[in-house]
Amino acid sequence: MRKKGRGMATIMFGFGYGEGFPDHSIAEIEITTDQKIKLRTAGADVGQGFLTTMIQIAAEVLKIDSSYIEIVGQDTHQAKNSGSTSATRQTFFSGNAVREAAEEVMGMIYHHGSIYFNSNHPELTVKDGEIYACDNKEEKISYWELAEIVKQKGDNLQAEASFFPKTYVPDEKTGQSEKNYVAYTFMTQVIDIEVDTDTGIIEVMNVYTALDVGKAINPQNVHGQIEGGTVQGLGMALMEEQVIKNGITINPDMTNYLVPSIQDIPEFESTLIENEDSDGPFGAKGIGEPTLIAACPAVANAVYDAIGVRITSLPITPEIILNSLEENNN
Amino acid sequence: MKITLTVNGEKREVEVKPQTRLLDLLREDLGLTGTKEGCGKGECGACTVIMNNKLVASCLVLAVQADQSEILTIEGLNCQDELHPIQNAFINKGAVQCGFCIPGMIMSSKQLLDENINPTEAEIKRGLSGNICRCTGYVKIIDAVKEAAHKMRSRGEDDV
Repeated sequence: MRKKGRGMATIMFGFGYGEGFPDHSIAEIEITTDQKIKLRTAGADVGQGFLTTMIQIAAEVLKIDSSYIEIVGQDTHQAKNSGSTSATRQTFFSGNAVREAAEEVMGMIYHHGSIYFNSNHPELTVKDGEIYACDNKEEKISYWELAEIVKQKGDNLQAEASFFPKTYVPDEKTGQSEKNYVAYTFMTQVIDIEVDTDTGIIEVMNVYTALDVGKAINPQNVHGQIEGGTVQGLGMALMEEQVIKNGITINPDMTNYLVPSIQDIPEFESTLIENEDSDGPFGAKGIGEPTLIAACPAVANAVYDAIGVRITSLPITPEIILNSLEENNN
Repeated sequence: MKITLTVNGEKREVEVKPQTRLLDLLREDLGLTGTKEGCGKGECGACTVIMNNKLVASCLVLAVQADQSEILTIEGLNCQDELHPIQNAFINKGAVQCGFCIPGMIMSSKQLLDENINPTEAEIKRGLSGNICRCTGYVKIIDAVKEAAHKMRSRGEDDV
């Protein structure tokens, strides 16, 4: 017999290292004379879309099409430290460093542009990689031409920025501080399941997500993170079990340690909450790890809703379901 | 021992050892590193290629078994400098994250769509069920196969 259940869970996640750690990221931006904007960052893209996000931020601040921006680095040989791609921190930390570096370069564009046009700098218009004299729209100069002029003066349109926020060491006794982490991400998920009471197999039907992302710089990638993180969480909830005997993992392969396949995934419906309520770039928050966390408690709650049994260990395998049902009957 | 096979439309003659796998032949001898080695025992699908119009896990095929065969890998999908519609759909739909499973995913998608240009969602899931992805949660991969199928159907109609 198949029994339906619905469960909900809400999580909060403080991201970045926080807790007094000197967490920071450095980025550098240079407008070249050969129609390229070089963005130096050592941050590693592991598939989450870090580089796309950095390019979008630089393009937004510099008011130019993202195709002009070229990433240099991804290692600390060619770029300065961006910190690790971990702790859900790159969009917030490197995103802020890139934004600040881009703002510095924008300041230089206004400075050198105003000298070129002999005007007060607030009176310039800057858009699509071109600078216009305010009182004469016919008069304009491209970023590349300006870079050449600045080069002749022995300078260049280049700036580096370090985002280095203060973090607070928590009190040893209470674990509290003014702000343990740089910002907090919240997420609520409602998960529908069906439990087969004859086989103990759980099928996940629907996942409804509301993710407080601050600002979705790349909404497609945010949805990709929600889906990917949640499916990993569902694996943790239902199938992924490392069996260790005498210190040795006895199921070190994908036949015996099951991870979700394409046949195991539910329908997704996700809502992004964009309150822009963090100090991240454009109010963005980190979402990498938070998207994984709610799946387990939401599934366990759904199991309780379906068959009235509280499961307190993971993964919730068919054996555990059948044993729990049997105990309940006795 | 010497074997002869056609890889991505090109005839190749390769000297191989008896224990050389098709995967090693492609990656090491021919330099076609688009095909990935994941688990090395036919469980994950990362090394999937098309051999004589059938999907195989190239880690489970000995190179000598591929003698006289026709092999298609991810490198052979694009036509001149144009990406294959499946590759374009994977990019458009954001179906690639770390990318390690993607060559295998795309070869399985190719085989699926060669056999059935109008698959249902259940048929897509069955067609890609041998390919494990840890990053994407598969949602956008399914979207991409649907988009590719749609594009390839309308392209086919244009040809007629």
